[in-house]
Amino acid sequence: MVLPSSRTSSRLACWARTVAAIATVGLSLGPVTLLVVTSVARQWYWPAVLPPEYSLRAWTDIASPSSGVIPALVTSGGIALAVTALALIVGLPAARALGLNEFRGKRIVAFLLLLPVLTPPLASVMGVHAIFLRFGLTDSLLGVILVHLIPAVPYCALMLSSSFANFDTDWEAQARTLGASRLATWRYVTLPAIAPGVAIAAVFAFLISWSQYLLTLFVGGGHIITLPLLLVAFQRSGDQAIAAALSLVFLAPTLALFAVAARFLKHDPSSV
Amino acid sequence: MVDAMPIESSRIYQALGSVQRSRRFRIASMLVPALVVVGVLFVGGLLVAIGQSVGYFPLIGKRHLTSSHYGALFHDLEFRKSLALTFILASASTLISSAAGLALALALRDMARHSRLLIALLQVPIGVPHLVMAVALINVIAPSGLIARSVCAAGLIRTPLDFPVLVNDRYGSGIILAYVLKETPFIALMVLGVLVRLGDEYHSMARTLGASAWQRWRYVTLPMVAPALVSGALVVFAFVFGAFEIPYLLGRPYPAMLSVVAQRHFMNVDLTERPEAIAIAIVIAMIASLVAWIHMRLARTLTGVGRPTIF
Amino acid sequence: MRHRCNCLAALPRVAAVGTIAVLAGCTTGRPAPHLVLSPSQFAAVDWQEVASLSRDSTVNFAMWSGEEERNRYLRGKVATELKRKHNIRLRIAPLSDTADAVNKLLTERSGNKTGGGSIDMVWINGENFRTAKQAGLFWGPFAERLPNIGFFSAQTRLRDFGTPVEGYEAPWSRAQFVMAYDSARVFDPPRSIEALCSWIKSHPGRFTYIAPPDFTGSVFIRHLLIHFGGGRNVCWSTFNRNLYEKASAATIKLLTDLKPYLWRRGETYPATLSDQNRLFSNNEIDFAMSYGPSFASEHIARGEFPPTTRTFVFDEGTIGNYSFLAIPFNASNIAGALVVINFLISPEQQLDRARTLGDVFPLELSLLTPEERRQAQGLPTGPATLPAEILAAHLIPEPDAEYLQRLEKDWLEKVLRQ
Repeated sequence: MVLPSSRTSSRLACWARTVAAIATVGLSLGPVTLLVVTSVARQWYWPAVLPPEYSLRAWTDIASPSSGVIPALVTSGGIALAVTALALIVGLPAARALGLNEFRGKRIVAFLLLLPVLTPPLASVMGVHAIFLRFGLTDSLLGVILVHLIPAVPYCALMLSSSFANFDTDWEAQARTLGASRLATWRYVTLPAIAPGVAIAAVFAFLISWSQYLLTLFVGGGHIITLPLLLVAFQRSGDQAIAAALSLVFLAPTLALFAVAARFLKHDPSSV
Repeated sequence: MVDAMPIESSRIYQALGSVQRSRRFRIASMLVPALVVVGVLFVGGLLVAIGQSVGYFPLIGKRHLTSSHYGALFHDLEFRKSLALTFILASASTLISSAAGLALALALRDMARHSRLLIALLQVPIGVPHLVMAVALINVIAPSGLIARSVCAAGLIRTPLDFPVLVNDRYGSGIILAYVLKETPFIALMVLGVLVRLGDEYHSMARTLGASAWQRWRYVTLPMVAPALVSGALVVFAFVFGAFEIPYLLGRPYPAMLSVVAQRHFMNVDLTERPEAIAIAIVIAMIASLVAWIHMRLARTLTGVGRPTIF
Repeated sequence: MRHRCNCLAALPRVAAVGTIAVLAGCTTGRPAPHLVLSPSQFAAVDWQEVASLSRDSTVNFAMWSGEEERNRYLRGKVATELKRKHNIRLRIAPLSDTADAVNKLLTERSGNKTGGGSIDMVWINGENFRTAKQAGLFWGPFAERLPNIGFFSAQTRLRDFGTPVEGYEAPWSRAQFVMAYDSARVFDPPRSIEALCSWIKSHPGRFTYIAPPDFTGSVFIRHLLIHFGGGRNVCWSTFNRNLYEKASAATIKLLTDLKPYLWRRGETYPATLSDQNRLFSNNEIDFAMSYGPSFASEHIARGEFPPTTRTFVFDEGTIGNYSFLAIPFNASNIAGALVVINFLISPEQQLDRARTLGDVFPLELSLLTPEERRQAQGLPTGPATLPAEILAAHLIPEPDAEYLQRLEKDWLEKVLRQ
C-alpha cells in the first residue's frame, strides 16, 4: 500500500534540504575562507567589505625562525604523537575489558572514565599542577605528556569499547584452535576487526593533545611552547593576519587526520 | 542426589570460583593502567583541589579545614551572578545547537547516505579551535565587523554605533552564537551517525503500515536518535559550562562566566585568592560530574535501536 | 586486508619512536652547578670570571610578550648577537601577564623549589616587583655591580613605583603614557583631563578605556587619581591614606558619572590592548591609549592605524615609568642572566632597540660618549611620536604601588560591578 505523497510536504522537504546543504557548506567553509582572506589582508578595517590591500607578510613571518612557529609545531606534534601512543597502549586493554565483559563495578569504572572527558580542564588542572609541582614534573615535556593523557586515555578507552562490543570473540577462538599464536591472532584477527575504531581513537587522541591549551599552560609553565599557546599569544598581540595564518597552520593537520580517519571508516562504517 | 556428591560439587564450585577469580583478575589487570592514569592524575588532582578549597593549603600555610571559602563564594554577588549566567548560557547554547543539529541531520539524511563529502564538511568546524572561531565571529558580527560593513555599504547604516550589539553584550548573544556554530555540526554528526547506519527499513516499514509523518517521527525516528542526541547534548552542556576562551573573548568582564572568574582569581598575585579560584573550579567539576551521572542514568532508559553500548 | 594491517602495524612503531624521542628530550638539560652563584660570591669575583662562567649556556628570559615585534626582535637579532658575542643562547618564555611569572615563583618558593628554576631573568616593574620583593623571590642585590649600570642616572635606580629597588633589579626600558587619535576624525583633541571629560560627554559612545587590572587601563584611571589629588606637585611616591581616600572618591564618582557616555554605555570595556586597538582601527572609538610613546607610529607602519593618527599628552602631564630586569631566587643560570642583563642595558643595545622598535631611549645622555649621544639624539621618530623633550617635560613619576592596587580594587567593586 503506497501512501500518496503530498506536494507541499515534498516541497518543504526539498526546501529544508537546500537550506541544510547551504548551512553545512557555510559552517564548514565559512570560517576557513575567512581565515585565508584575513591571513593575506592588509588594512582590512571599517568600512572596507573586502581587503583594500593584500600581502604575504604574515606567511613569511610565520616561516621565519624568529617567530617560534616551527619549534612550536615540532613540540606540539611530538607531544601529540607520544600521547596518542600511550593513550592507545593504556586504553586498548581497558576498552577490551569494558566492551566484552560484564562485571560488578563496570558502571563505576565507566563513570570514572567518563568523568575526565566531561570535566572542563580548568577544574582538574589546578589540583594536578600542585601534584606535579611536588614531584618536579612541572615545566617539563614529560609532565605535559602525562597531563594530556587525562582526557586522552578515557576518550580512547570509551571509543574503543564500542568497537570491542561489536567484536565477536569467536573469531579469535577459531584462530586459536587453528593453531595461531596469541600475537598472530591479535595481528591478523583482532586488529583488523577493530582497526577503524583504533584509527578513530588515535585521531581523536592526537587532536585532544594537539589542541590542549590550559593543561599545557599550567603544567608547562610557559616553558613548553605548543601551537595553541602561540596562537593565543599572537591573538593577544592584535596582529590579525598572523593569527589567521597560524590558525590555518594549526588546522591543516586536524583536517588531514580527519581525512585519514574517513578512509578507514569507508571500509567498514558499522564497526565504529 | 545433592548430598550424594558433596565432594564433587564443592570441587566444581571451587573450580568455578577460581575461574571466576582468574577472569576477574584478568579484567582488573586490563583495566588497571587506564584506571591508574585516571585515578592518580585526574581523581588525585581533583582531591588535592578539593582539599585546597576546604582550607588544606600548605602553600600559603593553611592547614585546618574550613568551609569558609565556599561560604564566601556563595555570599559573593559576582559568583552568584556568574553561576546563573553560566547556567543560562550553557542551557541556551545546548538547546539551540541540539535542535539545530537534529534538524540539520534530519534534512541531510538522504544526501548523507550517498555523499561522503557532506560528512567530511561537517567535520571541519569541529577541527576549528574555539579560540579561532571566537575571533572569526568577532570579525563578522561585531558592530564594525563584516556584516555591519556590508550593511553600511548598502547604505542602511552610517557608523558602527547604528549596528545592533552582538558581541560583549549583556545577553551573551555572541557566546551563544559561537557555541551554536561550533556544536551544531557536532550534534548533527552524532545523529547522522545513527540515521545513516540504521538505514531506512524501519521508516519504510512504518510508512507501509500506515503511520503518519508525525507518528513516524515520534515512534521511529525519535527513539532511534534519542541516545545519540541526549548524549551529545549532555557533552555540549558540560563543555560550555566550563569553557574559557569563548566567554573570555566574546563576553563581558562583569558578569563573566564561571571559568573566566576562576581564572581571574587564580592569576591574582595575592595567593589568598587561590582557594576561591579552586572552589569555583570544584563547583564546575561537580556540575560536570552531575552531568556524567545523568548521562549514565539516561543511557540505560534510552538504549535505542542499534549496537550495544558499554552501559 | 593485508595492506591495512601493514599500515596499522606501522603506526604503533612510528608512535613508539616518537614517544622515545620526546621522552629522551625530557631528560636532557640538567642545570649546571657552575652557573649558580650566591650574591656574596658575585660581589667577590671579577666580572670577566662571570662572563667566562656563562659561556655556552642557555638563559631563559620570561617577558611580557604582547608585542610581536619586540618578541621577534629579541628572538632574532638580540639572540644572534648574544650568541656571537658571549656564546649564550637566549630563550624567551612568553608571558601574557608578568603576574603569571610572579605567581609561578611564589608557588615555587612555597613549595621550596630553591634551585633549578625554569626562569633565569624576568622583565618586571611596579606592583609585581613589590609583591615579589616582599616575598623574597629575587636573587640579589646585583644591579649596582653591573659594569653598564652607570649609564642610567642614579635617580632611576632608586625606586620602582615607590618601592626601593636596593639593587634587586636593573632598569632596562622607559615608558610613558600617551593618547592617540585620528587627526582626520578628531579635529580638536582635548589636551587636559577636564577637556577630555567634556569631550566624552559631547561625543557619547566614542570613548572607552581598557578594563583594569590591565596595566594600560590601570594607568589611565591613575591619571584621574592624580588629577583629583592635586596634580603632579603632590608627593605620590609614598602612600598617604587620606590623600588616597579623597582622590579616589572623586575618581570613582567621575568614572561612574561618565558611564552612560562611554562606548557601549559603560556596560563593557575592552579587555586587552589589542581589543582597544581593533576598536580604534575600526572606527568604533576615537582614542587609543598606550604606555609606549611610539605605539601609534608602529601601528601606522604596520598598516593597522590610519596614517593621520597622532599622539598627545595631557597638559598636566602623563605618568611614565621604567621597567626593570630581575633574577629569580631559584634561577638555574645566574651567571648567564647577569651577562645578558648587562648586555641588554648597554648603550649599544639600547640604541639598537630604540632604532628598531621605536622605544624611548632610556639612558642619561650626559653619561654617554659624544658619538653615542649623537646617535641617541638622531634617532628617527615616527610621524605619530612626540619628541623626547615634550615627553620629558610632561613626565609624572609613578605613584606608590599601593595606590595602584587599591584603585584597581575600588574600580572593580564600585565602577564595574554597579
